[in-house]
Amino acid sequence: MKFRLLFVFLLFAGLLTTVTQAQDDQVTVTLWMHNHTPRVAVDEELIAEFMEENPNIIVEYEVVNDFFTALSTALASGAGPDVFNQFTLFNAQFYAQGLLAPVDPVAMGYQTIEDVYAHYGEGVVGETVLAGDTFNGILYGVPTELSNYACYANDDLWAEAGLDPATDFPTTWEGLTDVAKQLTVRGDGGTLVQRGFDFNWYGNIYMMLHFDPMVQQLGHSMIDEATYTAHINTPQVARVMQYWNDLVNVHELGGPQYTRSRDAFIAGELATECTFGNWGTPGMEESGINYSIHNIPRFADAVNDIGFATFAYYLQVNADAPREVQEAGWKLIAHLTSQPGRYLNEAALFQPVAEYLATDEFANNEIMPVFLDELYRGAYHPRFAGFAEVGDALGRARDRVILGGEDMETVLQETEDEVNDILERALADIEAAGSG
Amino acid sequence: MRRLYHRLWGEMSVISRRQYWGLIFVLPAVLFFVVFFLYPLVTGFALSLTDFTLLRPPVWVGLDNYLDLLKDRLFLKSINVTLGYVFGSTVPTWILSLLAALLFYQKFPGREGLKLLFFSPLLPSVAVVSVIWVVLLHPSGILTHIIGPFFGKAEITWLHDLQLSPIVIVVARVWSVIPFYMLIWLAGLTAIPQEMRDAARVDGANRLQSFLSVELPLLRPTAVFVMAVSTIAAFQGFTLQFVIAPNKGGPVDVNTTLGIVIWKYGFQFFRMGDAAAVSVVLFAFIMIITGMQLRLGRSDHYSLN
Repeated sequence: MKFRLLFVFLLFAGLLTTVTQAQDDQVTVTLWMHNHTPRVAVDEELIAEFMEENPNIIVEYEVVNDFFTALSTALASGAGPDVFNQFTLFNAQFYAQGLLAPVDPVAMGYQTIEDVYAHYGEGVVGETVLAGDTFNGILYGVPTELSNYACYANDDLWAEAGLDPATDFPTTWEGLTDVAKQLTVRGDGGTLVQRGFDFNWYGNIYMMLHFDPMVQQLGHSMIDEATYTAHINTPQVARVMQYWNDLVNVHELGGPQYTRSRDAFIAGELATECTFGNWGTPGMEESGINYSIHNIPRFADAVNDIGFATFAYYLQVNADAPREVQEAGWKLIAHLTSQPGRYLNEAALFQPVAEYLATDEFANNEIMPVFLDELYRGAYHPRFAGFAEVGDALGRARDRVILGGEDMETVLQETEDEVNDILERALADIEAAGSG
Repeated sequence: MRRLYHRLWGEMSVISRRQYWGLIFVLPAVLFFVVFFLYPLVTGFALSLTDFTLLRPPVWVGLDNYLDLLKDRLFLKSINVTLGYVFGSTVPTWILSLLAALLFYQKFPGREGLKLLFFSPLLPSVAVVSVIWVVLLHPSGILTHIIGPFFGKAEITWLHDLQLSPIVIVVARVWSVIPFYMLIWLAGLTAIPQEMRDAARVDGANRLQSFLSVELPLLRPTAVFVMAVSTIAAFQGFTLQFVIAPNKGGPVDVNTTLGIVIWKYGFQFFRMGDAAAVSVVLFAFIMIITGMQLRLGRSDHYSLN
């Protein structure tokens, strides 16, 4: 009887120890992602799959609206997530503040960091693809979506104007102005009923994503990320600004006062839009728009054969998270980036995994060729801390010239001085944070 | 324990017992004030003395943020914008809401229905009102169709014209708040005893004289309230500029109020210390102007009490 009691006691004690140990080994990872509705279902399925394969890891997934503000505020209050995705225009700021943990290749299931790069392409291809989150030679994340822009033509509106996008789509900005005039429909008193082409005026990010690349086509860039300096009062910037200004004030083809370009294109009020990525197609198909995709025009005398800027969302790990949570986080990230086909087919998001790019499935994708062509020619936007403030200054400069009619040279010089002040302050912050 | 309680309770005078209960009853309000007003106020001021990027702990910099504001282009411009917005949106509000109150104080058929209709702009949130205005203000939208022919224009860039845009924001603001202040005026008018108006008429005063000499002076406490509350609200102007104005406070910052600057510095530019400093300056502005208004409105004369 005594032996039996002792046996039961030992069994119970052993069971208790095992349960306690299992609880001790359990790791909870909080994951925040920005809201892209078609992606969420895929995320949820992959996370459920991951938790089943890793019973000791609990993932608390949250889709957050107003992502940039919410994430910054949460990180400031110490309530930030362990893993989060972030837009490349803001990555430099997060890196500068020392918030990002370097990629842990072993936790992701690779041998070395070179293997992570190789996953996205051999040699320079992998380095180029992952440049959006590489600072001082260290990689801080992997992309959940890599993106760039191409021009979408509403084939029906082009046909109504007697044009065929397949043969008539212009290769130069100068040509696009001429075509836009033919596609523009005016009502009583010259009001714009249908625009042929217009830029995306909403948000200052476009000053980096499509204004600066136009400057780069002419052999220059407004921001030098290596030296943290701005060169804005230059002939190339003035030339691009003049092009934008002429579109609004000389040819009267569009401007910031009209319905946002993407909304107008979906509504069938704009014949050509050049700031949709491959992720724009589901919306167009839902709206029943008959579209075709074309390369971004270049200036007739362009010295660089590039379209608009490459950008991405990267999955990153909070440097303040405990070591075991960071490891679980990288393991989760490896899982979330292991099925690029699902993300492309179900959420129209492109994860540039080399192995997937070599598949027949990808080769047969009808949307991606133009985007891939532009990706191979192009590069990421300049990556620097203080983008939000610089973007604000650049957007103001654009509006001062185009809406305010101010002298362009004065505006560009004042903006150059202002942006250099911002960059100087950002650099000082980086040095103070010890990330420089 | 129970005995001690009863003994102590019994020894308390009636007045101190009342004070005891009074303290109990005001405690929640005091706690609410301390947690949600006093603590943020003190914390905000403390933050204004730091360099805080939002992403990392604050670093003490003393008064540097305030000194930097003196040469901060956006901040200096936003003071002008805010003062213009405050003046433009308060004075017409006071006058128009008072006129509306005088109208609705009269008895006429359908008054209650009309009052309800007039009050309707106050029902939706400011954000909803802003979205409605964005639709109305399309360059070739309904407002252009109504007003454009008078100026021979088929398109009016209401929000992107640097001169017109701040006026449009002021008009939207005045339109949305008049009903609220009208109600306040109406309450003030109702509180004036009818005998006083009758006495003025007996003395030979006409409607205008009666209003200027009897009603208006007696409305002074109401006027002070309307002026103070509307001025404070206007100084805090944010939602309309955020939702209606292009690029949140644009174009070219012509609608960038101090509220927009606080948002931009804090949550866009990662300059929380500067944002807190602007908040403190805004707080000081509001305190000074409100103090002046209350002082001007202070008088022993013309009070019904």
